[in-house]
Amino acid sequence: MQIRDLPYSDPGEPDVRSGFRLLLWLGRMQLGGQLKALGWGVLQLASFASFPVVAGLAVSAVVRRSGNDLALAGVAMAIVTLSVTVGDTMLHRVAVSNWITAAARVQQLLARRTAALGATLTRRVAAGEVVAVSTGDIERIGWCVEAVSRFSAALLTTLGVCVALVVYQPQLGLLACAGMLALALTVLPLLPRATRRADAQRDRAGRATELAADTVAGLRVLRGIGGEDLFLTRYRRASQQVRHAAVRTARMWSFIEALQVALPGLLLVAVVWYGARLALDGRIAVGELVMVYGAVSFLLLPLQLFGEFAMSYSFSRPSAARAARVLGLRRPGEDSGSAVPEEPDMRGPSQRWEPREVLFLSAGLPAGLYDPVTGLHAPAGSLTAVVCGDPDEAGRLAERLGGHPTSAAAETGGRSTNGPGGREKVPGTSADGTGRLNGHPGRSSGKNNDERADENQRAEQKQGSERKQLTEEGTQQPSASVLLNGVPLDSMPLEVARAAVLVQDKDPVLLSGTLAELLDVPSSGKVAADQALEAAQCGDVLGALVQSSPDAEGDPMRARITERGRSLSGGQRQRLALARSLITDPGVLVLDEPTSAVDSHTEARIARELAKLRAGRTTVIFSSSPLLLDRADRVVFVHEAKAAASGTHRELLHSDATYRAVVTRDPQSTTPEPADPRDQSAQTEGVESA
Amino acid sequence: MSHKDIPAAGEGRRSTLRARRAERFGVPEPDHDPSAPEDVTILPVGSPATVRSYVRELLRRHRRTFALLVVVNSVAVIASMVGPRLLGGLVDDLAAGERDLQLARITVLFALALLVQTVFTQQVRLRGAVLGEEMLADLREDFLVRSVGLPPGVLERAGTGDLLSRITTDIDRLADAMRKAVPQLAIGLVWAALLVAALCVTAPPLALAVVIALPVLVTGCRWYFRRAPHAYRAEAAGYAAVAAALAETVDAGRTVEAHRLGARRVALSERRVAEWTAWERRTLWLRTVLFPTVNLSNMLIMGGVLLLGGVFVLEGWIGVGQLTTGALLAQMLVEPVNLILRWYDELQIAHVSLARLVGVREIEPEAGTGTAPGGKDVRANEVRFGYHADVDVLHGVTLDVAPGSRVALVGPSGAGKSTLGRLLAGIYGPRRGEVTLGGAELSRLPAEEVRRHVALVNQEHHVFVGTLRDNLLLARQDADDAELWAALGAVGADGWAKALAEGLDSEIGSGGLTVTPAQAQQIALARLVLADPHTLVLDEATSLLDPRAARDLERSLGQVLEGRTVVAIAHRLHTAHDADVIAVVEDGRITELGSHEALVTANGPYAALWRSWHG
Repeated sequence: MQIRDLPYSDPGEPDVRSGFRLLLWLGRMQLGGQLKALGWGVLQLASFASFPVVAGLAVSAVVRRSGNDLALAGVAMAIVTLSVTVGDTMLHRVAVSNWITAAARVQQLLARRTAALGATLTRRVAAGEVVAVSTGDIERIGWCVEAVSRFSAALLTTLGVCVALVVYQPQLGLLACAGMLALALTVLPLLPRATRRADAQRDRAGRATELAADTVAGLRVLRGIGGEDLFLTRYRRASQQVRHAAVRTARMWSFIEALQVALPGLLLVAVVWYGARLALDGRIAVGELVMVYGAVSFLLLPLQLFGEFAMSYSFSRPSAARAARVLGLRRPGEDSGSAVPEEPDMRGPSQRWEPREVLFLSAGLPAGLYDPVTGLHAPAGSLTAVVCGDPDEAGRLAERLGGHPTSAAAETGGRSTNGPGGREKVPGTSADGTGRLNGHPGRSSGKNNDERADENQRAEQKQGSERKQLTEEGTQQPSASVLLNGVPLDSMPLEVARAAVLVQDKDPVLLSGTLAELLDVPSSGKVAADQALEAAQCGDVLGALVQSSPDAEGDPMRARITERGRSLSGGQRQRLALARSLITDPGVLVLDEPTSAVDSHTEARIARELAKLRAGRTTVIFSSSPLLLDRADRVVFVHEAKAAASGTHRELLHSDATYRAVVTRDPQSTTPEPADPRDQSAQTEGVESA
Repeated sequence: MSHKDIPAAGEGRRSTLRARRAERFGVPEPDHDPSAPEDVTILPVGSPATVRSYVRELLRRHRRTFALLVVVNSVAVIASMVGPRLLGGLVDDLAAGERDLQLARITVLFALALLVQTVFTQQVRLRGAVLGEEMLADLREDFLVRSVGLPPGVLERAGTGDLLSRITTDIDRLADAMRKAVPQLAIGLVWAALLVAALCVTAPPLALAVVIALPVLVTGCRWYFRRAPHAYRAEAAGYAAVAAALAETVDAGRTVEAHRLGARRVALSERRVAEWTAWERRTLWLRTVLFPTVNLSNMLIMGGVLLLGGVFVLEGWIGVGQLTTGALLAQMLVEPVNLILRWYDELQIAHVSLARLVGVREIEPEAGTGTAPGGKDVRANEVRFGYHADVDVLHGVTLDVAPGSRVALVGPSGAGKSTLGRLLAGIYGPRRGEVTLGGAELSRLPAEEVRRHVALVNQEHHVFVGTLRDNLLLARQDADDAELWAALGAVGADGWAKALAEGLDSEIGSGGLTVTPAQAQQIALARLVLADPHTLVLDEATSLLDPRAARDLERSLGQVLEGRTVVAIAHRLHTAHDADVIAVVEDGRITELGSHEALVTANGPYAALWRSWHG
């Protein structure tokens, strides 16, 4: 495999049973490259090793005062030069190619797995792991896989040199070999430990960087309120701690380095002492003494390669384990296999499913979207607004409406405000029940090696159970699936369900890229981009994008949107996301609070245009804004997990006091129930500041 | 070669931007350059003069550590040359047929030299790390010192993204340069110079070999170093882009699934892999030229010493011993040469990052020459303002905010409400006209003075990494625990705060306990209570929260607003309803001004909107 042929058209099916097996699999997949690297490696090291021979020849020739021999040494020198140059360069090329192809393969596998996992990955435990694999682990895995061949080459050459030394000059050779062995046994065990220490120190440095980044991220707050000195002092302290830790690590390395000077040095002293005596006795020639001295110096090179390999292996073991774990993640109900979702076809699914729809319709089930749990019904072809007293419940209900819900809470349709158990959370005003995780799995700062090692072990033990958990959550059969035209959505293939119903959640993410790329989503093709942008009132967003993107030369479609649309305000982001959903033009569109951060003026216009654009299509909007509700064909008020009332906004406003209180937040209409905390808030609502 | 420089492919090596140049052979630069900045750099990048003066200052600060490094390094190198010298003498004696070699003396000398070399090598490594770490710590601390002194207007306009990427990415890139490149280069240069000097001392004619090899080395390296920095920078950026694409797919998991973007994300990842590996091929090609050049020059030196030296010995100009010593010294020269080449481009690459870091030094701190405010009334007078030289966002706005009153700014998106709010909070200075606080011009007051009177409250409720106490103390550093609890109580946050296991000492923010957005906003409000400014400008403070959380928070907010002047940028109409004065902002002008009743009676745009809202 050449680098130029990347990416792989098919990265293959990895062996994810364990980290070691993954490494093995990666090595097997590039067997040809490994063999080539082995060959060039042997050539390179053998050429290096023969330099002392040439030097010895030259010195011998000079001692013997033979010009011819010297010329011969010159020719030998030229040959050695050539083979060192070729061997070194080619080894480097093949080794780097092996590294790159292994890394690229894992990146591709990760991308495929991530795409297949989709919403399941919003669970942060898994998400953090994926990012950790892609940012740090892959380099180490590639390094280790690639180093195998160089290690083997070093091993072969070392053995060769030792054998040659022993054959050539038994006593000196044995002395050198014994010395090498002692050297390897002394230094090698230290390396992995030292590397781990360096790793821990990097984490600490990462912590300081994070502190700095955190301070900078909150800089506007600091400049607006104060406290710069407090945070500077704190950062200085962290920075100095990093410095001390780094110097401490460097001290350990400096001792290893000193050891690497002293031990081979001692070997050299011994060789010189012993060799000089042999030379004195006339048992070896002067040139040979120089040769042995050079050969022993040479042996330090493969020794470093051994060290590197030991290091790369100890580095990559936990990385490979994590990679195997991530690549082994499966969606609930997903069969194994690296399912790459096909580019979906808008017309396909509905056609394929039509016969069954008819079947169910004839059985007398309602057309449109129907949720048997709450009794919520969104008739086909109309705009239904849903008002939910509890925003968490609204989020879960919206997710259920799309079928194949990912969180357990959404499946059971229950009212528990906390996510799946075992997650620590600040108590109190739990505004969101989405089960926000606080554990930062990737972080292990400020911990020492042993703790880290323990963690790795625990993580490895956990891997099985975690995968199981992911599956369990999925296989818990939902109490009842939402029905689309009578067909249970959960029983449709995921792709088909997603194509039929688009649920835009409360926090839709804008993917970075140009505006054109953002809006290029699988769609019916019936709604043009400018139509959707206009309906979502994106005029000022386009202006802002053009201004911040000089490359676009005034064309908003070429303007760049930064990650998560951070350069835009909350309202602007919401409107772009809405435009994207409108372009998709799905049969059923579910929107959860699509305009909560948009000002009233603009919201009123969006409500009008949205109704116009979606005329004849099925649309469900979760909102409590009168401006949107007023435009809906029908409003359903969901109270305590049941569809409690329905009608037009105006009807409900007059007939239902609870509804009125939830929707208008109007100080004048909240007299009836003073015990309700919402009403107390009415007094201070004066400046909601939004 | 050491383990450090075998496949350097995985290491973060980056380089300067430079115009692409055509090459007739090998692997040309790929078309796509991932290191080309996609976001506009808003803050300045340091000029060469600024960078130079900063580097000089940095070296001056650490001249002692630097000198110490050079000294210990020299001792270590000189000690390492004793072995070859002794062997040379030995060879001389042996060749001359000497029987009494004084082997014991030589062995002891050799061992002594080894001891010195060992001790000093350890010191070199340590001193190098000390120097690198000191410089790195200085760099990052200097940068943060400068950053926290930036005028709020600059921050508001530039956003924190640019600064953030400087403190993370650029510091990261510099870390390797400072930690390794600077000390290693210093070590390599001293080392190589001493070896060449020793070669000259041993046998001056042998230095001829170095003279022969030098042109080859210099030519090859010049070729390489002209191209390498840019290529490595692009390569690293390309690799980062691969990870970034994946991270985004993970982050946007829900959206990706809902919109069925899976296949496209896979395709994007593969495109990123292709772009990255194209640069890997490019850098690999550059090294395919560099490696033979370096190998060739190394071999030229060694071979030259051996063969030329051999001829010289045959001619009787030098002895066999000198030849042996020279050959061994030449062999030792390989390592420092590799060291220099290995780290030189790292330094070139680091230069760009350094320029970005010191660029912040070029921003002028605020003048802060204004007189102290003589009252609490905020007044905008014929204010014109725009973010770009020729485009005004506000066209002559006049607004009086009486102390203790509540003003609501309403109007469509992009009309200039937020901009007006920021002018009233003293974050921007007007282009024309003036914004005054108690008669003093706000834009001329330093941030430290302004914030004693006015605060902007927006949706940015940053929770700092640290304890809850740290998060509150920043508003008033001398506050005691009782005051902190009182502030938390005032915003209704004492309930959950008391429930925390470690109370005020609980670690919150990223990495600690996760607080909900509503709790984060309560913390922000508690800070306001502590800072106690008399005027608040509220901009979308609760808009990103879901409605129920927003309701809870409005109660907290009510407590904070009590007794203060408030300018609220209202996006929900019921917010405006209660204000003393409502200003309708459209197209950068105030088109309607008055109380709710007055505006409804006037039957203008506000009245129309109110009716559709209220039903």
